[in-house]
Amino acid sequence: MSGMLDISGVTVRYGDLVLVDDVRFSVEEGEWLMICGPNGAGKSTLVSAIAQSAPYTGEVLFEGEPLRQMRPRQIARRIGVLAQSNVALYAFTVGEVVRLGRYAHRAGFFGGRGGRRGDPEPGGPGYDDEAVVREAIERTGLVPCERQSILTLSGGELQRTFLAQVFAQDPRVLILDEPTNHLDLPHQKQTFELISEWLRQPGKAVVSVTHDLNLVKAYGSRVLLMNRAHIVAGGAPDEALSPENLQSVYGMDVHAWMQKLLSHWS
Amino acid sequence: MVERGRYRPVVWVLFVVATLAAVVVCLSLGSVRVPLPDAAREVGRFLTGRPAFDKTVWSIVVTVRFPRVLVAGLMGASLSVSGCAMQGLLKNPLADGTTLGISSGAGLGAVIAIAFGIQIPALPFAGTTIMAAAFSFLSLLVILTLAYQIDRSLSSNTIILLGIIFSMFIASLSSIIITFAGEKAGTILFWTMGSLASTTFANAALLFFSLLVFGGILLSMRRELNAFAIGEENALHVGVDVKRTKLLVLISVSALTGICVSVGGTIGFVGLVTPHMVRYLVGPNHLRLMPAVLFGGAIFLMLSDLAARTLFSPRELPIGVVTSLIGAVIFVNIIVAAMRKVK
Amino acid sequence: MIRNNNKRAAALAVVLLLAMALLAGCGSGGISSGKAEGTTVVALTASSAEILYALGGGDMLVGRGEYCDWPPEIAEVPTVSSGDETNVEQIIALKPDLVLMATMAQSPEQAAQLEEAGIEVYTSDASTIEETYVTIEEIGALIGKEAEAADVIASMQETFETVAADKVDGGTIYFEVSPLEYGLWTVGEGTFMDEAAGLVGLTNIFADLEGYAEVSEEQVIERNPDYILTITMYYGEGAKPVDELLARSGWENVTAIQNGAILELPNNELSRPGPRLAEGVQALSDFVHGIENG
Repeated sequence: MSGMLDISGVTVRYGDLVLVDDVRFSVEEGEWLMICGPNGAGKSTLVSAIAQSAPYTGEVLFEGEPLRQMRPRQIARRIGVLAQSNVALYAFTVGEVVRLGRYAHRAGFFGGRGGRRGDPEPGGPGYDDEAVVREAIERTGLVPCERQSILTLSGGELQRTFLAQVFAQDPRVLILDEPTNHLDLPHQKQTFELISEWLRQPGKAVVSVTHDLNLVKAYGSRVLLMNRAHIVAGGAPDEALSPENLQSVYGMDVHAWMQKLLSHWS
Repeated sequence: MVERGRYRPVVWVLFVVATLAAVVVCLSLGSVRVPLPDAAREVGRFLTGRPAFDKTVWSIVVTVRFPRVLVAGLMGASLSVSGCAMQGLLKNPLADGTTLGISSGAGLGAVIAIAFGIQIPALPFAGTTIMAAAFSFLSLLVILTLAYQIDRSLSSNTIILLGIIFSMFIASLSSIIITFAGEKAGTILFWTMGSLASTTFANAALLFFSLLVFGGILLSMRRELNAFAIGEENALHVGVDVKRTKLLVLISVSALTGICVSVGGTIGFVGLVTPHMVRYLVGPNHLRLMPAVLFGGAIFLMLSDLAARTLFSPRELPIGVVTSLIGAVIFVNIIVAAMRKVK
Repeated sequence: MIRNNNKRAAALAVVLLLAMALLAGCGSGGISSGKAEGTTVVALTASSAEILYALGGGDMLVGRGEYCDWPPEIAEVPTVSSGDETNVEQIIALKPDLVLMATMAQSPEQAAQLEEAGIEVYTSDASTIEETYVTIEEIGALIGKEAEAADVIASMQETFETVAADKVDGGTIYFEVSPLEYGLWTVGEGTFMDEAAGLVGLTNIFADLEGYAEVSEEQVIERNPDYILTITMYYGEGAKPVDELLARSGWENVTAIQNGAILELPNNELSRPGPRLAEGVQALSDFVHGIENG
């Protein structure tokens, strides 16, 4: 137990229902951990617990420190979350939404610019909020619509805006819950490329819930297969997604199905 | 990107000038026509501590009009900044003391204080004020608890329905109390109507300090409100202390609403109208919106009161009639816009 | 004097009702059926109850509207709901021969229901002294007290004539119906108070308005009345109406306030179309002469 993120004995209950049952695993620096499994396996609940937005028992440790005991700002500097979808209501600009990512790096109550308090900034002294925001907007290709209202964006652009926000937030671990669910193929590809590029920075890790097993294989460095609140298999993609494992979890011959789908392309 | 706009000084100069202009207009116009120089002379003498030049003009402009204009301005600012904060917090442009039924709740608190003679001996009117504030907080808690039970996303429909039901519930409670507190019914009816007649400099001072403290708290939470206005879940993810923010906003809004109700009764829809109009001018970013709403709210209620005083002079309209009239139009406007978006 | 708290309780509501009714303009009232030897009466309107007593028919009263509070002995008569809350069944149960009501407080449907039950209904809507005479006459005829009605009218006329013969030489008066806290309500043209001002020789400062009206404080200060008559109810807390008037900031320079020329008539003498109008006018006249003579 000495990963960047250690999940030990995490259980989530909803009434009598056990959604996540005594799950334990670690996340190492530089890896993209994919969590797969059928609907209702408890994947989303598990990542919510890791992100501290769902009540759980057990511990989630970041570099040995329990996240549960940290203030929201401290958590946000370590863990970033890209939600499945976001609904815009007010006409904030893309720039404003992205800039909100810097919230956790600003000083406390009166929100002075660039001030610091509590534990050190990830970037060390001389860390420049505006430069980080700038970079996030450029990295995601949002420069042309920086001043555009989020109400006028397409679904893909809106998702990219929130991706830029979480880049600006500059967390150590990025948690994604089916981030490309509503997106068309080019946007799907773009999002995964952007994230894998982000992951190349030192000291980062990605944990994501992904349904599409092709994407899991293409981008994942490790896979956790979940079923009925438990992790039933874990390891390198090819190993964890073995025909036997998939058969037992999904109740079908996934391999044959994929082959059949691909055969139409030749 | 540099956060320009936010510090664009011209806008703020304009707001200050417009607010001062509204004060001047409201002081010089009124039910009784007083020439501007005469009004200015008496106000000037008042501000420099000199005695009246013309006693009648002094009485009208300095003693009657001035505190009323101040109270209208401060109350407009307080109600608007509260409404704006609620609309950000709940991510719902229809949230306001009136639509949520908080003002009715505050009114009920005042009614109970009067009917049962709840008083704090050292502070003559504090009993009513504190009860009004306490009840607006309770109302908010009840409404939001119910709203979250019904629909976590707090859609407009939920808000409207709950507001209506809650207001009706409060109205029937008030009626029961009025039935059993016969001799105080006259005093009680005041809370259901809202009036800025008989306001004093002491009222203005109370409003000023409450705005300084609770308005200050709300203004200090502009970033958090931005996060909530983009989405509560997103706010949590970027590191906003969601519980603390909610609690502070709810306490401040309750205190401001309660104090306003205890001074001027229920003046409807101010917190709905101002932020809606100001958003057109400066956008939804609370960094700009909140301070702009302070000015906008002050201007809106001062001008509404001016309309109430002068439109049918020498008759006077209750100010709530003016604000509710405008409020109803804007309310419908927001709903129609929201429905279109859904389609 | 015993005052009925409940009556005063709804003062404001009543004022608003009155205002609305007066603004809307009153429909015509009148006798809805022929004469009869009335023996039992329910009076829903305070003024009609007062007329009944003035005509010596107080013992005919078997029920009264909750706001009928004069004369004091009326308190012994059982009350019924009136106005919007009128309970027709409650009235029928009292088995009256005659019900007295006012057009502005009661609806025609209520009258129709009572008539269907075989009860005679008389509705009045007097808003001037002349019309009040007619009402007194008609009620007198209905209960067989024509002579008494003539006496009451003659006595009222005598009072008004005496007062009018001794008019003061000008002066202005402001009538206050509700206190500042609830917004100032006053009366204009077409009200008994306005008529009373004319009889005494004063001008109502709000004679340019009609009926009941909410006015701004500024207007009162600017119009600077020589006299103030308040009919505001005292609810038993805070300053009494006259003291509250004297203490109002901004009003220090109003002539009436400076001279302490404030009369309080809290018992509806000048707001009800009944025989006590004479008392009210007399009181106002005495008060004004008292101030005039130092």
